[in-house]
Parts: sequence; C-alpha cells; structure tokens
Amino acid sequence: MKTYKIISIIGIFAIIAIATISCSSTDGAYKNIDPESTVALKSGAQLWGENCVRCHITPAPSSYNSTDWETIGLHMKIRANLTAIEAEKIFEFLKSAN
Amino acid sequence: MLLIFVGGNIIAQNDETKEETKKMVDSLVKEAVAKQGYKPSKTQFMIRGYGHTGFAYTDTNGETESSFDGGTFAPIFLFKHNDRFMFESELEFELSDGELNIGFEYADAMYVINDYMTVRAGKFLLPFGTFMERLHPSWINRFTSKPLGFGHDGIAPGSGVGVELRGAFYIGNTKWNYSGYVTNGPTLKDGSEEPEEAGMLSFENLIDNNNSKAFGGRLGFFPLSDSSIEVGGSIYATDGTGEKGSDYEDVSAVLYAFDLSYVKQIAPISGIIDVKAQYNHSNVDRATYFDPEDGDTYSFDNQSQSYYVQLSYRPTMAGNDFVKNLELVGRYSELTTPEGAEWESQSSQYSVGLNYWLSWRSVIKISYESTEAEGGHGGPGITNIDTFSIHWAIGF
Repeated sequence: MKTYKIISIIGIFAIIAIATISCSSTDGAYKNIDPESTVALKSGAQLWGENCVRCHITPAPSSYNSTDWETIGLHMKIRANLTAIEAEKIFEFLKSAN
Repeated sequence: MLLIFVGGNIIAQNDETKEETKKMVDSLVKEAVAKQGYKPSKTQFMIRGYGHTGFAYTDTNGETESSFDGGTFAPIFLFKHNDRFMFESELEFELSDGELNIGFEYADAMYVINDYMTVRAGKFLLPFGTFMERLHPSWINRFTSKPLGFGHDGIAPGSGVGVELRGAFYIGNTKWNYSGYVTNGPTLKDGSEEPEEAGMLSFENLIDNNNSKAFGGRLGFFPLSDSSIEVGGSIYATDGTGEKGSDYEDVSAVLYAFDLSYVKQIAPISGIIDVKAQYNHSNVDRATYFDPEDGDTYSFDNQSQSYYVQLSYRPTMAGNDFVKNLELVGRYSELTTPEGAEWESQSSQYSVGLNYWLSWRSVIKISYESTEAEGGHGGPGITNIDTFSIHWAIGF
C-alpha cells in the first residue's frame, strides 16, 4: 500500500513537471509576464531592495564581481524562491552597478 | 640614378609595411590572449559561508559559568556547472566542550527545469517554515541562539535526504512560492538507547530506517505588491517512523507550521521594521514505551508545539553613520513537549539584543536571554537560565 502511495505521489510530481515544461518556455524570462504588471514595471534596484532584505541586509553591488554574482544569483534564486523575472532583474542590476 | 632611387624607396616601403603588419599581428595576438585570459567560464566554483565567535556568561539556578566561545566555521561550497545546474554543500565545524564537532548540513544538486520549477536532490534544508532554511546562519540570525523548538532536540525538521520540487510565480500582481518534497523522514526514538527520549522524533535519518517516506511542502504567499509581507504554511507527514520490523514501524507523524515575515522601511520612524514569526506543531501516534526504571510500560498523547515571535528595528534613515548601523531586537519563544513523556517540558524564553552592523554581512551581537524551563533535560522542577553574550558573526 505504501509503495503504491509513493509511486502515485511521484507520478503526480512527474505529470506536473512534464505539463509545466511543455506549457512554458525558458527562452526569455519575461515572455509570460504581463508588461503592465507590477513586477514588470519594477527596476532591478527596487526588487533588490525588496527581496534581499527579507532575510539579510541588502548586499552592496561591489561585494562581488559579475562572474561571482552569476553563481550567487543562481544559488539565491533557488534558496530565496525568487521568480525568474526577479532574479534576472536583480542580478543584472548588481552586475551593472558593481 | 632614378632607378636606384625608386628601387630603394620600394624596398624601404616593403620593410616598413612588414614591420607595421608584424606590430599589428602582435597586437591582435596580445589582445586575443588577454581576452581569453579574463573570459569567465560558465563553470564556476565558489567558497562562501559564515563563522562566529564570542563570549557568554550563564547563570543556571544561581550556578554561574563564563566562557569564550571557540567559534564556528561553516564553509559553503557552490559549484555552478552551467546556468541551470548547480551543486551546493555546507559543512559546519564547531568547537564544543573541548572537542571539534563536524556537521554535514546539506549537500544537494539543483537543476532549474524552467522559470517556475527547480528540482533538488540530496540532503537539503527543509522549507518547514522559514527559520531553518533561511534564517539560522549566524550572520543572518539576529541572536546568538535559535528559538525554542529548533535545533538539537527541536520539534521542527531542519534538513532531509530526498528529492524536492520548488519554484515561484506570479498570479496577477501577487507572488507565490511553493515547495514539495519526499525524504527519508524522521526516526522515532523507541527508548531502547535513550529511555528518557522515548517517543521523540529524530530528523537525522540519512539512511532510512523503514520503507515509509515523509512527504512535505510549503506554500508561501505575498499579499502586497511590494513583497513586504510573506505568509506561509508547511506540512510534513509520514505513515511510519519506527525501525523496520519493530512495533513502532507504523507509528505515523504529522507536523505542520505557519510562518510570517514583515519587512518594511517606514519613513515616520526613520528605519526598517523586521517581524518574523513561526508556529510549529508535531503530532505523533500514541505508542507504548518501556520504562527501565520501574520495569513498566507507559504511553502518552505525543503532541508538541513551539513558536517564536521576533521584532527588530534598524534606524537606517538616521543622519548619524554610527546610529544607522545599530539594530534593536527582541524575541519571545515557547516550547511545550508531551505531558506524560520522560522529556515532558514547558519552556519559555525571552531575548533582547543590541546589534551593530559593521557591514551588510558582519555584525556584533550583544544580547541577554532568560529561559524558564519546567521538566526536560533540567530534571523535575523549574530551571532558570540567564545568559549574557557578545558575539561577532561574519558571512563571507
């Protein structure tokens, strides 16, 4: 019984994953965002101020070089559950201002 | 003569052209080599992390002790294979009671499937609430201690071994994030090794003790467009916690948590207000345990709960540089463990602190903490513990 339960839950995860991959594109993070939406109108600097401070003090752009920000960006996108558009705007801002 | 003059000029011009061409080629080669040398690769390896050290003075029911803290060093290894694939790991080296303890906090591979989904596999920090996943590192945690109910002997799981799917998305102007995972789940302590902990869950289940897995997840929601408020709900459940083949194999457990975060710069008070809170509840099936002291069996309603509320204020808009780096912080937490268990306890704790931020990732924390515990490891009766501490924490 437990095995069936595990298989069925993993199956649900797999179906959701396949459906989402099929229905969405990774070519351009802004593709599925309404250009008039709040997040689309916010700058990278604003999103940096709103999101990083939720856990820690906002880092200075000069703390790392652009290459390091890319690595940290991927790490923090996942850890902090940033949306694709937020991560792209925040780390573009940090790289442009460092 | 004319022929000699013209011929000489042609030879001289050819030599000059060759020289210029040679210089141009050398220049291009140097430029290409320089560009090649500084061109970042898609594969990157970084070591980040954090550490802290300090001093603590403790008064336990009138018995005092003071000690410098040997320090903790927690390196985090990040390996970015490409723009979608990353491996992360954290170790924790801590000097405690004269010994070096090494903790294996997490080690997982992460793959970004698309804009809305990332999969993680390995040992990862569990999003059961937000404290253990996001706020526990010493350079982020506003106090030197964790709230009651977290960490060693805590009722909230900190990490697990398994697979997780997570992501974030917008619905209109509201933001959501989610996580769903399957892990080995907890192990029920049946009292055979530590009778005083019979019925307690241990979350260090690196190799599963049975075939039951734990399923869990968290859903977070930002009701305001400035993302200043986040509320979240988490669940973690398994239909078997005991050793395979034992009487406890089918003892199930359901845990849930609610969390709140509010961070906002408010002009009238010239600074940032930061509120954090989390409530944890653990419900484990009733089971019968053996008491070796009186040779009898006993059982109890195995429910535990804990919560904490934390408020901090940083006067970031103050005119004085020293003042704007200060932070006032207060926290209250409670932990209640099952009545009738050997580890039955009722604890409450309040903490106040003054922090000074040397930089965005380095802080000096001065704090006073008072804990009142009835039962638990302190034995019967009430234990009062007052602690004054000063710590320096740095993230790197």
